[in-house]
This record gives sequence, C-alpha cells and structure tokens, in this order.
Amino acid sequence: MIIDVNAYLGHFAFRRLRHNTAASLLALMDSKQIDKAVVSSASAITYRNAQAGNEEVAEEIRGHSDRLIPFAVINPFYAGWQDDLKTCHEEFGMTGLRLYPKWHNYQLSSRHCRELVNAATERGMVISIPIRAEDNRQRSWLLNVPDVPLEEIVELVKAHPEARFILLNGIGYTRCPLGRKDNSLPSNYAIELSRLSVVLANELGQLITNLGVERVMFGTGMPFKYPDPALVKMEVLDASETDKEKILSRNAMTWLRS
Amino acid sequence: MAIFQITSGPPAPQPRISRRTLLKGSAAAAVAMGAAELPSVCAAVEQPGPGTSGGPLRKGKVIDCHAHLTHRSRATWESDDRKLIEAADKLRIDQLCCSTLTPRRPATADGFRECNRWTADGMSRFPGRVLGYCYVNPGYGTEALEEVRRCIEDKGFIAIKLYNEYTCTEPVVFPIIELAIELGVPILQHASHSHYFVEDQPRMSDGGHLAELARRYPEAMLICAHISGGGDWEWTIKALRHAPNVLLDTSGSVTDDGTVDMAAAVVGVDRVVFGCDSSMTAGVGKIRGANLSTQDKRKILAGT
Repeated sequence: MIIDVNAYLGHFAFRRLRHNTAASLLALMDSKQIDKAVVSSASAITYRNAQAGNEEVAEEIRGHSDRLIPFAVINPFYAGWQDDLKTCHEEFGMTGLRLYPKWHNYQLSSRHCRELVNAATERGMVISIPIRAEDNRQRSWLLNVPDVPLEEIVELVKAHPEARFILLNGIGYTRCPLGRKDNSLPSNYAIELSRLSVVLANELGQLITNLGVERVMFGTGMPFKYPDPALVKMEVLDASETDKEKILSRNAMTWLRS
Repeated sequence: MAIFQITSGPPAPQPRISRRTLLKGSAAAAVAMGAAELPSVCAAVEQPGPGTSGGPLRKGKVIDCHAHLTHRSRATWESDDRKLIEAADKLRIDQLCCSTLTPRRPATADGFRECNRWTADGMSRFPGRVLGYCYVNPGYGTEALEEVRRCIEDKGFIAIKLYNEYTCTEPVVFPIIELAIELGVPILQHASHSHYFVEDQPRMSDGGHLAELARRYPEAMLICAHISGGGDWEWTIKALRHAPNVLLDTSGSVTDDGTVDMAAAVVGVDRVVFGCDSSMTAGVGKIRGANLSTQDKRKILAGT
C-alpha cells in the first residue's frame, strides 16, 4: 500500500501540468502503484477566491473518494472562510487543509490564521503546509513568492500543540529545531519526503533517527513533479521493510484516519 | 590523450555531436582505467519503474555527466567523496564525470590548479568510476589554457568545466573554446535562466548564451548544465532548440514533471544527457518518470 500525502488537481497559473484531472492522476498512480493520494487544488494557489478551487476538486473527485482524499485550500484573510471551511468539511468531505501563507500573503502567526488552525483542529482536520509550490528560481516575472521559513513553522507548531501538521515540499529541517532530536517541540507535525535526500547528506535518515519513523511520510508532489524520484528514495532508503511500510502508508493512515 | 577526440586532424566544420559521440569517450576511458564492477546494493537504474515497459533501463554504462568531488577545505572531503561513490553504487550509476570547484569564485589560477590536482587524485582513488573535468577560470588567459592542455593531454581528463566567472559569450572565454575544439573535448557550462537578475551570479550564462556561443563555434561540443537547476527550464529548452552542438544536462534538484519529456521532444533525445549534480535520486527519478521509450531512456542514461 502506498499513500501519497502530497498531490494536486487542477491548473497552476505559471506552468501547464499534466496528469491534473482525477482520471489522469489515477492513471499515473496506477502506473506507479500508488494506491491513494491526498489532493488539493493547484488552481487555488493563485485564485483570489480559493473556494472556487475547492469546488473544482470536489467535483473532480466525485466517484473516486476511495483513492483520492481531498484537502481544502483556505485563505483565512478572505471573506467567508468560515463558511468555506464548513462546506469543505461537511459537504465535500475534505479532511484536511493546505495553507499557502506566502502565496496568499498572510502570516502564520496572525490572528486570522490562528483562528483557522483552531477551527480546523476542532473539526479534527489535518493541516498541511507546502513550504513551496515550485522552485523560486524559476518564478514568473510577475511575482516573487518566497518559501515558508521553517522558523515560522516552529512557532506555529508550538502555538498549537493540539493541532496536527504535515509539512510538504520542504528541506533543511535538520538545520532547525523541527528536525532535531529532543527539540522540546510538540510531536504534532510530520514531514513529507519528496525533497529530502536519502543519499549523501541523507536528511531523511537523520529525521528518522531524530524524530522517529512515525513522523515521516511518503509524498511525491505530483503532478507538479515526477512521482518517480520519491519512489527511488524509498528503494534506496536504508531502513527495514517494516519502517518503509510505515513511511509509505501506515503513518498516513494513522494521521488521516483513513 | 584526447579522450573525446572526434576528429583526427584539424577540426572539421560543424561535426554535430550526439549523446553517443560524447559518451563513446567516457566508455573508452573506463576501459582504459579499469572500471570496477558495481556492488549490487540496489538496482534503481536497472529497474524501469512500475508502469514502464520495454525491459530494464540499464544497458551499457550509466554515466552521470555532472558531478563534483568535494573541495579539501572541507574537513569531511574524503568521506564526502566516498559517499558520492556509495550513492552511485546504490543507484547503479557506473561513472561520474567530476570537477572540483573552489569554494568561492572567481577562482584564482592557484585555486583551479589545486582543484584539478584533487580531481586527478580522485580519478586515481576511484579508477574507472570518476572521470575528470578540468575546471578553469578563463580570465587567467595563458595559465588557464596551459592548465586545460595539461589536464587533457597529460592527466586523462575528458572535458572542461566552466563556471560563472564569465558569461560564456564574453571574448575572454573564446580561447578556451578554441582549445577545446583543438583537443576534441566537450565543455560543461554552468547555466541557468531566471526572470530576474541573479545578484550573486552576475555573469551567469543561460541557454541563450550557449546557443549564441554554439553558432559562433559550430564545431565546439557544449553541454548546458542542469536544466533542472532551478531556472525556467522551459525557457532553456526552447532557447537551445536550434543549437545542434549543445547537449542538455538533466541534472539539478528540481524534479518538475515533463522536464525530460520536453527536452527530448524539442531538441531530440540524442541531445539529452543524464546528470545529477549531487541530486542523485532526483536525477535517476526524472529519467525513470519521463514518458519516453526504454530505448530513449537508455540513450539518455548511457548513450546505448
């Protein structure tokens, strides 16, 4: 069983994506033997009204909820986000969030964001945060959206010990408290591996040592990224089959309660 | 000895290089240097990956066209170099084309000569696994030219590595290109294209510069480094469409879906070469993930 906690549907404003419909993503998953994927709207990254992207995802995955697990993109500074959260959770069956503080231009430490985290947590939703949507060096001439600084994530997880966070598309955790052993942070966050090294610096191996194998999850970033690099990482990772199974699916099943 | 010699006399006009031409030299070098057998730790490159038809990807030697040994100012250089080979073992990469770069640029003449001595030592420590790229700063004129000639003719290096001291279209670079043509060796040019000014690399080359250089020297064998190195790879690929003597190196940390596919579609699979630039699983995964035939993937990985 393989569960990908880092997948997307829809369009991205600055690059054509392939495999970005439910049918085509499922076909790609079949070809890579990926059983389930957590998906959110790529379009909602740049839509002003992110809820339109959530509606598109809800429509797209109709009939595929056994394999595609929808997450909502919510901007806590946009009018009506409380209504959108309720609709996404209760009507669309979205069991988690994806937050884009830099793309949507707000602070994770802001009151509005704290309210959103609290509201989602009360609903039992998981909150995932893509550290980046794509590499900043290839950005459009129209905008400059930085990665989410890991220091801001540190403050967020400390401020919400009861919440559950999954950090996506990140790297360099071992250079900050998030990836260090005995960091005195709550163990309320897990780290997805699509950008982590497993050879040379072997950040994934360090994270397993420092945080425990239960805190690491498989993800690809498809269809932004080829899924294969993440699969190759799992092939060459120096870990037991039991631990690999946890990373590939069991940890996600526990966190997603699926 | 010129490992990549493609002509026996004076350079002929416009000998269109291909992946096959480029790699012929490195395969010959491996035989000459006694390439070691790889331990069978993992078969990442051997397997086409789920959903890929056409048999194993690995046929012939898999060659990473863009790798680096560690500068010895770093205390862990020896173990870092060993880890590079171990990573190649795990991923079933047979050979790594390596340069050693100075920690800071512009490199001094003493600095690049020292780096090249260490690269030569790496070729000895890992015979048949490490192939040498001679790194120079073209601004040192005669000293840079003498270093290239010494490395290629006396030390068995197979190519030249140019970094960002100068944009590759600046006249100061031309004598290096002309010497590479004379020696019949390719040049790996550090490159990227961003839609903003990269302040810490003001003389960065991009695909457009390489295309311009290729037009000026159609007999040169040029490699555009890391199309997945963080810049706008669609721009880079399109900029190089009409530059038949420029190969595109797939290395870099970015694993955007479609990169390798677009490169193969726009410039032809014969002009796409496998590289990692230290992003090892990314490098292998991109090739496995590309929607190309097994035969085309083999061409990219090994030129077979």
